[in-house]
Amino acid sequence: MYRYIIRRFLTIIPVLFGVSILVFGFLRLIPGDPAQVMLGERATPENIARVREQLGLNKPIYEQYFIFIGNALRGDLGRSVLRGEPVTQEIVRRFPATIELALSAILVAILVGIPAGIISAVRRGSLLDAASMLLALTGVSMPIFWLGLMLILLFSVVLHWLPTGGRLDAGTDFVPITNLLLLDSLLKGDLGVFVQTLKHLALPALALGSIPMAIIARMTRSSMLEVLSQDYIRTAHAKGLHERAVIVHHALRNAWLPVITVVGLQVGRLLSGAILTETVFSWPGIGRWLIDAIYARDYPIVQGVTLFIAMVFVGVNLLVDVLYAWVDPRVKFD
Amino acid sequence: MSTIWTNRVLVVLSLIALIVALGACAAPTPEKVTVKETVVVAGTPKIVEATKVVEKVVTATPAPAKAQDTFIFGAQGEPVCLDPAIITDGISGRIINQIFEGLVKFDKDTTNPVPALAEKWDVSADGKVWTFTLRKGVKFHDGTNFDATAVVKNFDYWQNTKNPVHAAQIKAGQSFEYFEAQFGGFDNDSIFAKIEAVDPTTVRFTLKEPQGPFLNNLAMFVFVFWSPTALEKAGVNSCKQPVGTGPYKFVEWKPNEQVTLTAFADYWDKANAPKMKNIIVRNIPNNSARLLALSAGEIHGMEGLEPRDVAAVKGNPKFKLILRPANTTGYVAFNYKVKEFQDPKVRQAFAQAINKAPIVDKFYGGTGQVTNQFQPPALWGYNKDLKDWAYDAAAAKKLLADAGFPNGISKITFDGKEVPLEFWYMPVSRPYYPNPKDIATAIAADWAKVGINVSLQTVDWATYLDKRKNGQLPLYMLGWTGDNGDPDNFVCYFFCMDAKDTPITREGFVADKELSDLLKKAAVTIKQSERAPMYQKAEQIIHDKVLRIFIANNQPPLAFLANVEGYIPNPTGTEFFNTVVVK
Repeated sequence: MYRYIIRRFLTIIPVLFGVSILVFGFLRLIPGDPAQVMLGERATPENIARVREQLGLNKPIYEQYFIFIGNALRGDLGRSVLRGEPVTQEIVRRFPATIELALSAILVAILVGIPAGIISAVRRGSLLDAASMLLALTGVSMPIFWLGLMLILLFSVVLHWLPTGGRLDAGTDFVPITNLLLLDSLLKGDLGVFVQTLKHLALPALALGSIPMAIIARMTRSSMLEVLSQDYIRTAHAKGLHERAVIVHHALRNAWLPVITVVGLQVGRLLSGAILTETVFSWPGIGRWLIDAIYARDYPIVQGVTLFIAMVFVGVNLLVDVLYAWVDPRVKFD
Repeated sequence: MSTIWTNRVLVVLSLIALIVALGACAAPTPEKVTVKETVVVAGTPKIVEATKVVEKVVTATPAPAKAQDTFIFGAQGEPVCLDPAIITDGISGRIINQIFEGLVKFDKDTTNPVPALAEKWDVSADGKVWTFTLRKGVKFHDGTNFDATAVVKNFDYWQNTKNPVHAAQIKAGQSFEYFEAQFGGFDNDSIFAKIEAVDPTTVRFTLKEPQGPFLNNLAMFVFVFWSPTALEKAGVNSCKQPVGTGPYKFVEWKPNEQVTLTAFADYWDKANAPKMKNIIVRNIPNNSARLLALSAGEIHGMEGLEPRDVAAVKGNPKFKLILRPANTTGYVAFNYKVKEFQDPKVRQAFAQAINKAPIVDKFYGGTGQVTNQFQPPALWGYNKDLKDWAYDAAAAKKLLADAGFPNGISKITFDGKEVPLEFWYMPVSRPYYPNPKDIATAIAADWAKVGINVSLQTVDWATYLDKRKNGQLPLYMLGWTGDNGDPDNFVCYFFCMDAKDTPITREGFVADKELSDLLKKAAVTIKQSERAPMYQKAEQIIHDKVLRIFIANNQPPLAFLANVEGYIPNPTGTEFFNTVVVK
């Protein structure tokens, strides 16, 4: 298995290399001079020339790429054009906010999606089944953007239960350690901040978790249905096992595999969904940072963050593959 | 995976879910109170106030707990940098206005420069020597004294490329864009021959040539003073360590979240000492989410209201709508390489065929104003007496027929080639044109009624600006947002030709010597009383010759909770929070 993991690691290299070329190339295919976009109506030829010089845009494109990739290999993704901040350092600082949000969202998705899927499968054709599948369909079809605003409207403006956005209330004095606020507040024993963080996480996690939740529910349902029609389930029933035991010990265990695949794939989706969620909920993560950078044509940030997201995605996929083996001994690695 | 393990995980997860639910339930419930309501109506640049009493629900979510001492403002994005010398964006500017001060500032809701850190000033008869008398007893936030040497050191930081901090900033990729734009450039290129501290309270500027907009330039949000000691200490990290003399001092900048300021106890202007103890500027990028945060009472005020939300805010007693006096103008420009547009009759026909009022009414969410000239009404060079060409389709048709186009115009001769008449609109929303495509379509429909048939065109923003710069657009929409509230900044930028009177490529090869000479003269005249009539005359010339068609000014809307008072909107956006009170 270790050999498998190492081999998978090696295949990641060409993938990331390919991604870096795509990201770099696509950015430069967008029509329009980035210097012009940055300067707007006020652009004078001298200003444009200066900005192009600063961005290194007057060098040949292959040369620009090699400079970029050479620095990236050393962990230096360049500096933001607009604010001059080092991209690598900023990713490290902002990513915890995105992780916290994404993990909360996937947690919500799993906590609701899997039970809903199981119940639907077990009570196939019932009203409950119809209701949860309708909910799942709605979840898949609803744009995060709209759902987010509706959640704010209901829970913040009408009911006043939860805040509209941000990670903490404005005016809260809290110095984070890891920037994972749930963890930090526990480490510092600050229950007030812990509860506040949860309240701030609730709506964005729900909005971001809606689509994976729906997909997981549907996947769990169909996977369970398939397993439930197997002979060994009939055997389990026949030998007089309790219904709960059959579902948990016999059916669920075998239905896990496709569900894990889907959960793994959703992590990638979460990262792209996080871009929208972070904008609606003023969440200071890398998604929103990326959006701002795209509007400002801040090349180093766009390249760096995209490459980073690709790395995370590839890493999660690897993790999912390894998990297979752990969950299902029948999976072999050669 | 063992089932015991699965069960344990499920238990932990359920516990977390329970805590989330409990947290949600623990939130305080709303209470009902009666508050005094102030409604601001701002159809004109002047603001009229009326008072009425209404019942409203005050939320108990975050902000009000500290509402008595903190003013929370919702900004549309992240400040770029808090060093005034190297910024150009309004979001940073809003925060800088509270921390820093300059020699002069814009008075209330106008663009008239009035004393700030300078008590008074004199200018020599030739307009080249400006002597400013500084206030005594002004302290920077770091405790050092503000004096003439500090002023000289700040100017040195801005204009001297050998100044160590200046040089370090350039090396770090920063630029001093506004200094370059307003004061001619750096080192020997700048308009300054000499800047001296005559004594601790007197500073003297000797200019190479007189500069008409000099005071307006000095009043801009970027020409405000650092504590020289603090600047030296901050060096290239100046963006995150601002130290000025303003009513509020910097506390903290949480990237992508908020900037916190607190009242400066030693602020010199006791009469205008900050009314709120703290200021928080929160970054809420989504326009709808920002309005929802205002509705929930999490912020007290906001900018960047969608045109479609303006009416709702206006009609809701929970809110107060303030319209910032316009500092933007949207226009339709002709390219003078188009043979047909060289005939004033044709241009007049294009102008008279556009029915501006319904367009402004429909596409500006109630914040637009029909205009007939380049300068917005808040500028002191505005020509109140100018009468616009009346909307008259029949007259437009006749003008076209007189000019030799009885069947209208669908094709033009552009740079010697016959091509279909294209009308270009911007692909992006700008303050002066919130919905360029819709507005372009409406204008095209008006033109079609008199036989002017255009095909609508656009391209991505960068290419659009590029084509405009190279004079490749035959007929196009664009606009301008003013920098320093000086008429020169609106009119001369577009119509002043170079020393050889070359037609201006960037402006569709416009070349009007009479206008250009007048504007150049106004630019070196010092007295406002002499300059104003020149700009009024310039506007009349532009109008009479139909050099360009001006469509609308837009007044950016700001929304506040009804209990916020004392916010004074300024056309240039230099607005000060020390007068703001959350009741």
